[in-house]
Amino acid sequence: MKNKNFVNLNINPCKMCMPMGAVMALKGIENSMIILHGSQGCSTYIRRHMAGHYNEPIDVGSSSLSEEGTVYGGEANLKKGLINMIKLYSPSIIGVATTCLAETIGEDIKRITEEFKKDNMIVSKKAVEIVPISTPGYGGTQFEGFYGALTSIVKSLSDDKTKNESINIITGCLNPGDIRNIKSILDQFKVKYTILPDVSDTLDSPYKKEYKKIPQGGTKIEDIRKMAGAKATIEMGMTVTGNISPGEYLSDKYKVPLHRCPYPIGIRNTDVFLETISKITGKRTPKKLLEDRGRLLDGMIDSHKFNGEGRAVIFGDPEISYGVGRLCLENGIKPLLIATGSSNKSITELLKKEKHTPLVIDDTDFDTIRKHAVELKANLLIGNSDGKFITEREGIPLVRIGFPIHDRVGAQRSNIVGYNGSLMLLDNMTNTLLENKYNKYRKEMYGKYFSETVKKEETITAKEKTLSHPCFSGGACKVARMHIPVAPSCNIKCNYCNRKYDCMNESRPGVTSEVLSPKEALDKYLTLKEKMPNLKVLGIAGPGDALANFENTIKSLELIKEVDPEVIFCLSTNGLMLPYYADRIIEAGISHITVTINAVDPEIGKKIYSEVNFGGKKLVGKKAAEFLIGNQLSGLSYMASKGIVCKVNIVMIKGINERHIEEVVKEVKSRGVFISNIMPLIPAKGSSFENMPQTNNRELGEMRKKCEKYLKQMYHCKQCRADAVGILGKDVSSQFSKSACSSLKSNKEYTFAIATESGMIIDKHFGHVDEFYIYSSKKGEIKFIEKRSIEKYCTGVSDCDDEDSKIDRLIKTINDCDAVLALRVGYSPQKKMLEKGIKVIQTCGSIKDGVNYAIEVLEKKETCKTVI
Amino acid sequence: MAKGNDILKDRKEFICYKSQKEEGSIKCEKDSVAGSVSQRACVYCGARVVLNPITDAFHIVHGPIGCAAYTWDIRGSLSSGSEIYRNSFSTDLREHDVVFGGEKKLTGAIDEIVDKYKPKLIFVYATCIVGVIGDDIDAVCKMAEKKYGIRVIPVKSSGFAGNKSMGYRAAGKALLKLMGDDLPEKEKGINFLGDFNLAGEMWIITGYLRSIGINVIAKITGDSTYKEILEAPKASFNIVQCAGSMTSLAKEMEKKYNIPFVKVSFFGFEDTCTSILTIAQRYGDKEMIKRAEKLINSEKAKYGLKISALRERLKGKKAAIYVGGGFKAISLIKQFNDLGIKSVVVGTQTGRKDEYEVLKSISDEGTVILDDTNPAELEKFIKEKEADLLVGGVKERPLAYKLGLAFCDHNHERKHPLCGFEGALNFAKELDLTVNSPVWEFVKSS
Repeated sequence: MKNKNFVNLNINPCKMCMPMGAVMALKGIENSMIILHGSQGCSTYIRRHMAGHYNEPIDVGSSSLSEEGTVYGGEANLKKGLINMIKLYSPSIIGVATTCLAETIGEDIKRITEEFKKDNMIVSKKAVEIVPISTPGYGGTQFEGFYGALTSIVKSLSDDKTKNESINIITGCLNPGDIRNIKSILDQFKVKYTILPDVSDTLDSPYKKEYKKIPQGGTKIEDIRKMAGAKATIEMGMTVTGNISPGEYLSDKYKVPLHRCPYPIGIRNTDVFLETISKITGKRTPKKLLEDRGRLLDGMIDSHKFNGEGRAVIFGDPEISYGVGRLCLENGIKPLLIATGSSNKSITELLKKEKHTPLVIDDTDFDTIRKHAVELKANLLIGNSDGKFITEREGIPLVRIGFPIHDRVGAQRSNIVGYNGSLMLLDNMTNTLLENKYNKYRKEMYGKYFSETVKKEETITAKEKTLSHPCFSGGACKVARMHIPVAPSCNIKCNYCNRKYDCMNESRPGVTSEVLSPKEALDKYLTLKEKMPNLKVLGIAGPGDALANFENTIKSLELIKEVDPEVIFCLSTNGLMLPYYADRIIEAGISHITVTINAVDPEIGKKIYSEVNFGGKKLVGKKAAEFLIGNQLSGLSYMASKGIVCKVNIVMIKGINERHIEEVVKEVKSRGVFISNIMPLIPAKGSSFENMPQTNNRELGEMRKKCEKYLKQMYHCKQCRADAVGILGKDVSSQFSKSACSSLKSNKEYTFAIATESGMIIDKHFGHVDEFYIYSSKKGEIKFIEKRSIEKYCTGVSDCDDEDSKIDRLIKTINDCDAVLALRVGYSPQKKMLEKGIKVIQTCGSIKDGVNYAIEVLEKKETCKTVI
Repeated sequence: MAKGNDILKDRKEFICYKSQKEEGSIKCEKDSVAGSVSQRACVYCGARVVLNPITDAFHIVHGPIGCAAYTWDIRGSLSSGSEIYRNSFSTDLREHDVVFGGEKKLTGAIDEIVDKYKPKLIFVYATCIVGVIGDDIDAVCKMAEKKYGIRVIPVKSSGFAGNKSMGYRAAGKALLKLMGDDLPEKEKGINFLGDFNLAGEMWIITGYLRSIGINVIAKITGDSTYKEILEAPKASFNIVQCAGSMTSLAKEMEKKYNIPFVKVSFFGFEDTCTSILTIAQRYGDKEMIKRAEKLINSEKAKYGLKISALRERLKGKKAAIYVGGGFKAISLIKQFNDLGIKSVVVGTQTGRKDEYEVLKSISDEGTVILDDTNPAELEKFIKEKEADLLVGGVKERPLAYKLGLAFCDHNHERKHPLCGFEGALNFAKELDLTVNSPVWEFVKSS
């Protein structure tokens, strides 16, 4: 499992830097200030971030390093900063935290602060504790910065080894509301304790007539000194170890027994906390807390069924995510993903004992979390405000916990710890699920079960959707559409079709000059979107059948949807596979579908379809038609019931189905189809119907009129190509074709280079070829000439730095060829070959078909201008 | 010069009272005093806020994570197109990169972005340590431009290299680089510099301009795009609003592309009217001037009465102002004057000497003027001058509230427009909401 979508990039950070943690820790010490040794911006950003969350003035000093300080050392700035802060704030303690800059230029803050302390004592005679804290911005996140700062404080101050009865409580990055609740629990136990840091008042101070520059409250310095002689330490943080654990330091140096427990979120984690207190003190859990526990259980029962539908993605610092993850597990909410921006492998270990183990990723970013949330079909996000970007894009509701919460009020007051706090959080989560459910369920049930209404509603939504779709809206539409030819193969054979045929001047479905891979389709889409801002509709219309090439189709849709969620998708199909892929294409965001149905009577159908290939089996005759029609109609009914706008194309074939068309229209109408499009037969050369008469416009008009009684008719069909681009009737695809044309060639002998592995079909990417098959053709005769070995020029990313010369070498080997035929060809070689006059043909299928196709292409009179 | 225990010796010259008798000017445009708890941000911040509103640009912050984390979607700029600018891309440098250099990671980051998103324009911001560890971002950007045929513009924004206004200049340089060296044929139209489309403000103003027949070629940078910025050299003149961030660019454009500029302001009724007329007159088109007058009259009719009603509820109040640049402060004093509110404390983070001159000349006798102030000084002067409300940004808000003061958010994150005629009404409404809220009765009697 990759922890990030990108290797070298963090997109939308799910973490902050170490100095932020140091500031949060220091703010919980009585009469403290903190100065960041670095440039001015660091302190300002942190102040702004914290002010938004706590709604409290957050004063943080800066040594305001300038260019000069950076070059010659910042000692003077730092000392001056300390003096100024003492003057302005008269603090008892100042934390001096480093930043990226101070660490990189190698500032020795330990020495500087020690020197300063000595000098300052002489000047002011008033002791100010100065605590150096190393927090390089690149060394970790605010989480490590927080615990690291606490350890520095304890190391600097805790030196009173005299045994005392107090318990040290090291809390995590929790809110003032949480800390107040933890204190209340300890008070109910009637135990003595020192809580470090105690932000309960300092970061949520009451309004008072007189404003204090440093808010009252916080852990007293004399209490921190006595931590060395405490009865025990309870450290909240299951993943906190080594040099960032104040508890371990006190245990190692002063033998203060260390009890580690998680943030008391959820019933089990709270139990652990209370049991630890009992174990240390020998006191039983107070009655009121037991009642709180009962109330939590009662609440868990009340909401368990609602929670059972919860699918949560949890993110934040490692401890809060772990705590909330456990709370979810206790209540039947499925934690699908637990994500943290810190590098922290311990959460996975900790969760191994759980019955259901969620996916855990660390050192990640929000871009990745979003991707997972969508893929895992989450219906609940739990974490800080930055998750709102996922909510905004994906519509998944967010329960705000942790830090920062800057787009809502009251974060500093919230309480999610202990039995009572856990219940409040749980209620919040349940209510979010309920709100989401209640908002949707009426509409959902109505749409699902009340069939009459389905139709009505469908017309309304159809109207909305249709307004911006050129094919469905009645033609006079300024919106451009693009067909991406990503679906080369077909699973039925219609007698009017010869898909080998490729002509730039004729516009007809099933016809295209090129086939694109999904990635190429994306590239083409992006290129076009830039040139045509009104490009809003994207269709897949072959050149084969969209659903016969399902993987290509779906991949293309997904890729394009990712870059442009607004685009309207449609596809056209013969409907054979429609019942099987209906759900997946709806899920992919298809809103419009066209099914070509030429008959609903198998007797007539068998005259039109010569074969149907289904699941490796070939059907012919009436059976084939029967099977196809059955799938077409049931697929249509299903799509229509899901609110998809459905169109049916009918090819009017004189002498075959012209009398049957009304029947077809009536039938599809009953299946919920929105519009039908009766099209004239264009007798394609080489097809079985090549000698059939073409339907004329008058006959067509009459037929459409006749059918209008039953169903809305499309009068503006322009019979687009499978790679059509632009607004209806103005196809500009030739300008945008991938392989534009070289010069005019006369009818003569051609040489082709074929990229093939098997030697039978064209099945290789141009760049992966180590030998070409060279074919020639003369007067319809296709001949294999030789195999030509070449050095592979593309074996992966690593050795592609000299790509240009490699391409050149490669092209040199096939310099004498008129065209190269490959499954795919990269952009750069394509361009180069075009310059050399070698035609690039991207195709698949047998070599013979490919060469025939290539000859057709080469012999066409083309005059293309633009090359993409 | 100011006196008092709450003022550091080094800070005294940055503070003055408006006085008829006393001449002499305020100290400004200097580095912040260490330990004074300045409200200023850094060079990077200045550069980022100016460039960020270009909606289809990719902004890679080259450095450790903090800088990107704290500036993700920092400005409430709206977009009519791409939303890509609302993401925060960072190379997230670690210990290893600091030791061995981050160029490789930056190159890889650009490769990944190009591969996934097919960008046309990438800005690469150098943060504090980039220069120190010896990364040559110029070279990396140049290579990427060559390799991909797109624009990859380095922004020299190491935090320590000055203050926010240095960042504005760095952004200006980046924009100029983007506009290129060619001198295109002029078109009839203007560029609008120095609006960032907070809550749709750019749309409001360009709406006015369109309605009197003015073609805006490039919006710099609110709701702008790569393509639009490229068109900018064609303009026949520039109008410059946020002078602090845009004056240097406007001057450069004048030199390079021969585009003269005029300063405008669309904050407040008075400034908005003057600005619209100035622009119309600049064109010298009589019909256009007529249309401008018509627009002003109709907007006045629409909002004038409403504002008058609010004026009744606001007059006599005293305001303290602490904002980023001098332009905004000047404009606020004018608006307060119009509403009958006295400005008793006025300060800016990065005001320039000439702007302080203006501030001094338009404020009342005894007004305190502050450069690069801090919470301690703000507290002192707000109390001393008995201000009823403070106008400022996110960091100042909790201080005002703790002091029991009304507060008006004049920051990047606001969700309602404050410019143009409608903005003038919004501004008065917000002041009324906060100053005349019932909560103060309880606060005062507590």
